[in-house]
Amino acid sequence: MNKLYIYLLFSSLFVNDTDNQFIARQGQISFFSYTSVENIEAKNNQVLSILDVEKNEIAISMLMRAFTFKKDLMYEHFNESYIESDVFPKATFKGKIIEFEKNKKSQIKIIKGEITIHGISKEIDIKTTIDKTKNGYIIEGEVDLVVKDFNIKIPPILSKNIAKVVSVKFNFQYYPYE
Amino acid sequence: MNNSTSKYIFTFTFFFVTFLGFSQDLLSKLDKEYPEEPVYEIATFKTTRIGLGHSIEVRKKGALEISLFNRFWNLEEKTKKRFIADEVNLRFGLNYAITDNFTVGGGYSNFDKISDGFIKYKLLKQQKNASKAPVSIVLFQAISHRNKTEYENNLYAPDDIVNSEVYSYASQILIAKKFSPNFSAQLSPTYINHSKPFLNDQPLSQFAIGLGARYKVNGHISLVSEYYYNTNPVKSVSTYDPFMFGINWELSHLLLQFQFTNTRHLAESAFITQTQNKFNFEDGNFHFGFNAIFVLHTNKNKLK
Repeated sequence: MNKLYIYLLFSSLFVNDTDNQFIARQGQISFFSYTSVENIEAKNNQVLSILDVEKNEIAISMLMRAFTFKKDLMYEHFNESYIESDVFPKATFKGKIIEFEKNKKSQIKIIKGEITIHGISKEIDIKTTIDKTKNGYIIEGEVDLVVKDFNIKIPPILSKNIAKVVSVKFNFQYYPYE
Repeated sequence: MNNSTSKYIFTFTFFFVTFLGFSQDLLSKLDKEYPEEPVYEIATFKTTRIGLGHSIEVRKKGALEISLFNRFWNLEEKTKKRFIADEVNLRFGLNYAITDNFTVGGGYSNFDKISDGFIKYKLLKQQKNASKAPVSIVLFQAISHRNKTEYENNLYAPDDIVNSEVYSYASQILIAKKFSPNFSAQLSPTYINHSKPFLNDQPLSQFAIGLGARYKVNGHISLVSEYYYNTNPVKSVSTYDPFMFGINWELSHLLLQFQFTNTRHLAESAFITQTQNKFNFEDGNFHFGFNAIFVLHTNKNKLK
């Protein structure tokens, strides 16, 4: 009996996770804030994400500084006045794909997990489309985030310029992890 | 140790290790995937001027800054009193960023009738957590032209100054460091050259050292202060070192800089060397006003 435990212990230590893992190094996340005064749009093309098809886990990490804006001053305001990327350089997400079927060609699933922006963590559910490709997966979807939830302060005088709910779109193309 | 306790320990270790494996987590795995790229500091001062003088900030390519600066003050004599303030100096200016590092600009101040133009080049950008570029450096060159000097009727002015034109050149090396997300400071060695003397004993070459700092109070408001030390001021009239204390308020495309100062001039060569008031709150010496800067992006980035 003890031998079995020792075997289990070592196998768990040395099992190679990476066979079941896929990575996206150039994931895309964009967000949109539409108001009657101003439309703000930004895009990040360097989002990192990792997908574990055995444990049905997914993790996303990105640098806030990697967002690009149409107007350069917006980039500065976003990083310095709102998201404070000097203090909170990253936004992350980790979660589980509910009832993920790793061999299905196309599926719509819910990802349940925890998102962290501006140092504030929040539980969210995201509806996603997962497609299997030749050697990986593509995950895409859209989620609405409430700006207030993440303790991002908007001065009253600018409250008409920035939407209370920002819609976030994402698209990740996963390749086998090496 | 009997068999059941050891079993218990093994089970526990087994689950503990698998749990560790689970949370040797995907996120920390991703942290190792970030490419090593230099990260440049942004928003050292956020505005292209600390208040009086230029900061190391330059706008990105295609940005046009339309600015209106004003300084109000009361006359020393109590004989005439106007609403808010007796006198005002207004400067209307335009700056255009030709490239991300190179800006040209100019303006005209109505009270002292000075036209000024400048070029500004960002030589070095401060990098985050890197010893390679611990500071930002900007080279600045301004030329100003004064059509009629306010010294025309001055007892101490040389005779030939009337209706003559004076060109002044201000060269600066702006060195700034963002010490923390909230605090930045700047050192600005300055050399000013005048094309001809407009006061008796006027040194044609003057040196000054500027000190400036910004403290970010919250996302949109910061406190700024600036001071220039003159090494060889004019002797024939009393001049003082310019000092400014102010609040910067950043609102989307509009940047506002409210300030209290002792100088009424708005061009570098003038406010650094020709400030004739002490900094205090008495009439005649106390100047207040604001710089209103509107940033227009003539060149919008395409989001790929």
